[in-house]
Amino acid sequence: MRRLIAFFALLCVFAAHAQTPTLTDDVLGHLSKHPQVRAEFTQSRENPALAEPQLSHGDLLFVIGHGMVWHTRDPFEDTLVFASGDTSRLNAQGKLERVRDGNRGVSQVSGMLQSLLAGKSDDAMRQFTISAEGTPAHWTLHFVPRQARVAKVLAGITLKGDDFLQSIEVNLASGERTLITFANTRDAGPLTLVEAKVLGVP
Amino acid sequence: MKSLSTSQRAGLFAFASLVVCLLCAWLLFGRGTSPLQTDVLTLLPTTERHPLAEDAVERLARASGDRMVLLVHNKDDDAAKAAARELGAALGADPVFASVIAELPPFDLDQLVTPFLPFRFHLLTQEDRAALTTPGFDPVDALKRRLNQPFGANVGAKLTDDPFGWMQHWLDRQPWNRSALVPEDDLLTAHRDDGSYVLVIATLKGSSYDDVVQRQALATLERAEAAMTAKHPGTTLLRTGAIFYAASARAGAEHDTHVVGIASTVGIALLLLLVFRSLRPLLIAFVSTALGVVGAVATTVLVFGQLHLLTLVFGAALLGEAVDYSIQYLCARANAGQQWNAERGVRQVRPALLLALATSLLGYSLLAVVPFPFLRQMAVFAIAGMAVACASVFWLLPALAQKPARAPLSPTLVRLALGWQRIASGRRALFGVAVLCIVAIPGWLRLGHDDDIHLLISPPKALEAQTAAIRDVAGFGGGSQFWLVEGANAEEVLQREEALTDRLQTWVAEGKLGGWTAISAMLPSAHRQQQNMAALDPLFTPRERMSHWLGQAGFRADGISGFVAAYPGRVFTLDDWLAMPAYTPFRYLWMSGGEHGVGSIVVPQGQDDANLLRKAADGLPGVSLVDKPASITALFGRYRGYADVWLGGALALVGLAFLWRYGVRAAWRVLLPPAAGIVLSVAALGYLGEPLTLFHVMALMLVLGVGANYAVFLREGEPHVAHLPGAAYAGVLLSAVTALLSFGLLALSTMPALQHFGLTLLLGIGFTALLAPVSVPAPKNRIA
Repeated sequence: MRRLIAFFALLCVFAAHAQTPTLTDDVLGHLSKHPQVRAEFTQSRENPALAEPQLSHGDLLFVIGHGMVWHTRDPFEDTLVFASGDTSRLNAQGKLERVRDGNRGVSQVSGMLQSLLAGKSDDAMRQFTISAEGTPAHWTLHFVPRQARVAKVLAGITLKGDDFLQSIEVNLASGERTLITFANTRDAGPLTLVEAKVLGVP
Repeated sequence: MKSLSTSQRAGLFAFASLVVCLLCAWLLFGRGTSPLQTDVLTLLPTTERHPLAEDAVERLARASGDRMVLLVHNKDDDAAKAAARELGAALGADPVFASVIAELPPFDLDQLVTPFLPFRFHLLTQEDRAALTTPGFDPVDALKRRLNQPFGANVGAKLTDDPFGWMQHWLDRQPWNRSALVPEDDLLTAHRDDGSYVLVIATLKGSSYDDVVQRQALATLERAEAAMTAKHPGTTLLRTGAIFYAASARAGAEHDTHVVGIASTVGIALLLLLVFRSLRPLLIAFVSTALGVVGAVATTVLVFGQLHLLTLVFGAALLGEAVDYSIQYLCARANAGQQWNAERGVRQVRPALLLALATSLLGYSLLAVVPFPFLRQMAVFAIAGMAVACASVFWLLPALAQKPARAPLSPTLVRLALGWQRIASGRRALFGVAVLCIVAIPGWLRLGHDDDIHLLISPPKALEAQTAAIRDVAGFGGGSQFWLVEGANAEEVLQREEALTDRLQTWVAEGKLGGWTAISAMLPSAHRQQQNMAALDPLFTPRERMSHWLGQAGFRADGISGFVAAYPGRVFTLDDWLAMPAYTPFRYLWMSGGEHGVGSIVVPQGQDDANLLRKAADGLPGVSLVDKPASITALFGRYRGYADVWLGGALALVGLAFLWRYGVRAAWRVLLPPAAGIVLSVAALGYLGEPLTLFHVMALMLVLGVGANYAVFLREGEPHVAHLPGAAYAGVLLSAVTALLSFGLLALSTMPALQHFGLTLLLGIGFTALLAPVSVPAPKNRIA
């Protein structure tokens, strides 16, 4: 009997061991190999209150550990900087203005991505149940809120990608759906002076 | 009285004493609530020129009054949460808590949105109002920008109820959205690098200062904490709340009462036994003193309706002075030997006792003039106690001490007294006093002063650290600095408050201030709501234009008509604010319906430089900074100044009394010991590096009262014991040692004010007793 228990224990250890490098970790590990990424984005928003989807285009710069510059070119010109929990707007004079009425949801999603890629998945794990499907070359990560309060607002977030992140889909409980797709994703190369300044990159 | 016999008089006095004892017992235990007060706040003097400001101080102190605020910490998130849940459940099981919030109740987000819908057009953030009134505001562009925000996540109102996001911006500014704690797993949680913190709030069923509630709640917390840490090792509990401060103050005062009371009682008993070498004098002295204490307690409760525990601590020390009267009488008895006659004995000590009582009462009544509830209570306590103890000597003790003493005063003490009396009298002694006074000068020069509020309130450092840690993690700032906004009516108060918060807004932007909590952030003035309407009106006139814009931006027709029809909604009024459950926790910010008019409190966060905070109110009518600690410190300083003058005045009064009794040639001699005692003790404080506080000066007044007694006792007693050289001084020394035993023990008190009192009395009484022989001519038989 004792031997049997020992056998089971051993089995469990092996099973646990075999599971350790999950697809999620694998994907995050791959993504974090690109610490500075540029991409062009297209965002499409559907809301029950809107007759047709809202479309916007632009480009973004994502620097792990620092933040993100979200530059909308169309249908209007606007540059938002999400860094260290705050939202700021880069004005025409190249100066940062804190957006006091910034959308807390936005900076939270941005913050979660930041901490995920910086290897601090604790925050995300507390807030979401994360499941993964596919292969490291073609994957999907689902984030479902664990907190009932959050779930009343946010239905879920889905990330898809290969070597890079290809799309983000945010579904709200209200029926609003936002799909952001990325194109021409590449390593960022050197940052401009303004970019380095607003993101606090030395 | 003259016609009554000794025993009849004693009988009457005993009967009266019994009545007072019963009254005292009833006052203390007979009524439902105990008159024992442990709330230190009640000791603080009123400092604010405006009663509304005092009201505000009180409100802010009580805002978190009857709650325990607990923060459970563990490195491991799950352990912290499980521990907090168990702690909440354990506390919730005890009926001493009215409610315990650990796990949040099921909660509907709509509650924080729907009630605001009718008012939404009247409530705009400063930024939105500014944007709307900027020339060239383009509504379609504003809608486009909002609808294309990255990631979306439009939380709060439905898009059709709030297409521009004005309401969402407003709601984002409301206090519940600014908390540093986030709901997670139904718990209010904060994450730091060192782990997770989970909030548990327990509301007491009753007052934090109620003895029974306090003990039961703390015992339950202790058990729950022990169980929690046993089950989840590594868990720590941070706590704050009035109950912990009250409990620590109570523990300190109780400790002091025990130390001072027991130690001085035992010490005095042993001393009396040694000196009188008989049990009867001991009992007599204790009856007299006990009656004094009972009378003091009864009078204090009758006058103030309550007895502060700290007064009791001081009262315990007062034993040493009250016992003096009976000691003088008992010394007379011991010295008279077989010739003792109880009535003649009373006549013999009466002048000395009355003069001594008069000087003591003088000292204490000066204390009663100071507008400090604490000092006043002490003074009333002392005056009543002294008077009763002295009266008992005149009327009760003769009946108890009819028979002559079985033994004379301890010869050792008398020899000792005589020896010192020889050294410390005559010309040589005067020279010595002069030298000592010169030595005292550098001590005086080294003297600093200290008027800090912590003299009266000195919570344990550990508790202060926990409170600071909770403020840091959870953002609850229970500060004692705030702005008070006053006005003729609610609207004026709100407008004046907005003038202040508009200024604070720029301070926050400049990083001079972390933030603030104010009612106008929740309830704008009617004037400001009008401005909001004025900013919106052009967009809605005609309404079709707004519908057109919304349609252009992509909204469906049914949503548009609902939104446009809802305009302009209602004005948000004070009654609406009061009726909204979400605002209940912030009602303390608003003061109306009181006797002192209308006002509001604005609490700063992240800045405690009083000078800077005061600047924020500069030039704003009806706005002032209230800084209770600073006010008290200023008051201490002011009264320390007055007290110096009073001390001089008292010295002059006592001098006049002596002049009347002893004539010009002897009066200065009698006044010299207490006066020199004061000079030398102040110098000693200087040498000890003790900064002078109001309480030192107050104690010096007592030194004057007590010290004058000694000179009087010696001066008056000497002629009656011509056959026993040294006996009169022995009686004085006995009085002094009992006083040192009791007052001196105050120096061990946990409260700085009492400590200073004790130390000063220790020094002052010591010096005065040693210098007392100067007041009489040197003993004749120099070569004994």
